[in-house]
Amino acid sequence: MINFKSNINIRGSLSIYDNCQVLSIYHSSDLPISGNDPANIRLLKSALDSSISGIIITDNTQFDNPIIYCNKAFEGLSGYSREEVIGRNCRFLQGNERNQQAREDIRKAVTGGDSITVELRNYRKGGELFWNELYISPIFGEAGQVTHFIGVQNDITRRKNAEENLQHEREQVELKIEKRTWELNENREYLDSIIQTIRQGLIVLDPEYKVISANDFFLKTFKVENRDTIGRSLYDLGNGQWDIKQLRVLLEQILPSNNPVLDFEVDHEFPHIGRKLMLLNAHRIEIEGSFKDRILIAIEDITEIRASENRKDDFLSVSSHELKTPLTTIKGYNQTILRLLPADINPKIPMMVNKSGKQIDRLQNIITSLLEMSRIQSGKLVLDADSIDMNILIKEMLEEAQEGNPEHILIFEGQTNHTIPADESQISQVLQNLITNAIKYSPDSRKIKLMLTEVSNYIKVSITDYGFGISQEDQKMIFDRFFRVSTIQKHFPGMGIGLYICAQIIKQHGGTLWVDSEPGKGATFSFTLPIKAKESGDE
Amino acid sequence: MSKKLLICDDDRDIVEMLEIVLDESGYEIITETDSKRVLELISNIRPQLVLMDLWMPVISGDEILKRMRKDKNISSIPVVIMSAAQDGKAVALKAGANGYIPKPFDIDRLLQRVNEFIS
Repeated sequence: MINFKSNINIRGSLSIYDNCQVLSIYHSSDLPISGNDPANIRLLKSALDSSISGIIITDNTQFDNPIIYCNKAFEGLSGYSREEVIGRNCRFLQGNERNQQAREDIRKAVTGGDSITVELRNYRKGGELFWNELYISPIFGEAGQVTHFIGVQNDITRRKNAEENLQHEREQVELKIEKRTWELNENREYLDSIIQTIRQGLIVLDPEYKVISANDFFLKTFKVENRDTIGRSLYDLGNGQWDIKQLRVLLEQILPSNNPVLDFEVDHEFPHIGRKLMLLNAHRIEIEGSFKDRILIAIEDITEIRASENRKDDFLSVSSHELKTPLTTIKGYNQTILRLLPADINPKIPMMVNKSGKQIDRLQNIITSLLEMSRIQSGKLVLDADSIDMNILIKEMLEEAQEGNPEHILIFEGQTNHTIPADESQISQVLQNLITNAIKYSPDSRKIKLMLTEVSNYIKVSITDYGFGISQEDQKMIFDRFFRVSTIQKHFPGMGIGLYICAQIIKQHGGTLWVDSEPGKGATFSFTLPIKAKESGDE
Repeated sequence: MSKKLLICDDDRDIVEMLEIVLDESGYEIITETDSKRVLELISNIRPQLVLMDLWMPVISGDEILKRMRKDKNISSIPVVIMSAAQDGKAVALKAGANGYIPKPFDIDRLLQRVNEFIS
């Protein structure tokens, strides 16, 4: 009590205020406690001191509104003791932050005699920041003038920090969302640009086969606009070009069975663009989520590609025909001349006719090889599956080769009990090539051996010569197109396509062609052919 | 009555060459280079064998063959197709040919083939 009293003495010329008096002023109208009873005042003071809110009273009738009272909670709140507080204006709590918006609000309230609640950034004695929720309420004198202000203060730093943290978090999340959205947009634009650049028409259908979107190339290809397309059923587009029974069946199976539609060809008179051959591929979107069960359709205009393929095929078959037709007459007459030669003729003549006959056969082989190679290149090596008796075929081929090469001894060993499904003319070509090679590359050795065996469900044919042989290095490449063993090039002309064609033909039949050789000792070329036809047919 | 062999090819050189080759083998050879007249000719002379090219102007060998197979009077006459076309064999067999000889051919083989059908 003594301390309390001593503290209300304000220095200098200011009027001295009794704190107890102020209390009595403040409470006279609100509390059922009579004015100046010291016991009551002590009670009130205890009540104020036990408040957890900091409470101050300022005197408005004095210069600069000095603080004339503070309770214990205020001391705890601000870190200042009562001695340090009394007589000062409240603003000292604001440290250097004198320009807070709340201060302006306080000034207005004080001037106008209004009550107000503000949140202020205040500083404890130690310089530590705290958020102060300040409630200011005026006290009026008997003449109605404002005599005092009560300030009730609460440290809301924790709440404020929590709010600030929350706000910060929110801002961070917003930033992240913004960034993510931007990334997604960027990603979408990137994917869009890919889709728009693709030289294939792409449309997306909903599970009811209605078009959800179409890329630029689709619109361009069919010379249509988005409004002719989006939202319409696939089957209603154009002049019903996609309303094909077979296609409907396939598309309807996509969703339940997940079977994609692959390379479906549509040959149709399309509106705006005329007759075109379109290749259609369709897949279901399988990823779970909002895009599930949409159907992606890619449409490619293959009119030109197909036409160009056909032109190439036409060119090949016309070339074949045009090259072989004159050769037919030449060969026929050449052989007929030989047959009609009188017995007593100059022996040089049949020799010459024979030689030209050999060159005619060589030319025929070259033409056949070139055409076969072109067909292999365009993937059109068609197989005419005959039932071949390899025993007979090999025997015939060997007899023919023996006739033309009397200086070599051609031996045939082994046999098969099966006929095999293969193209006779192509297998003949392989045998002829391998036998010719064996003879050609073994000029100093006489023996050529041909073995026919059955291995598992294959027949195996091996042709062995005892000639130059082939180095390990060259063995890897002899089945490549246009490859020729360099040491042989000068002495044995050729184009280097024979073994390439042989390997391709054997591969197409489902077998393998390989070589075993040691330089200087000769070479064995072997190939296998399946005894039963391939399940899948042509490749 | 000797056995008749009809040779039909739009290439006159080939027809003449075949005429010489087959003439020595003792058959009666009838030749035709105009494919439009072939069907009528076959109906008239009813040969024992027809040796026919595939690619001919106006009407192709496989087309003639198909029409022959539909005509009861001549449907059973054997036809051997000879061609320099890449897919000649497949086309010929599909149209109902009894045999196929790729061009260029060996004279020996040709004679052998012809004999198989005529004897």
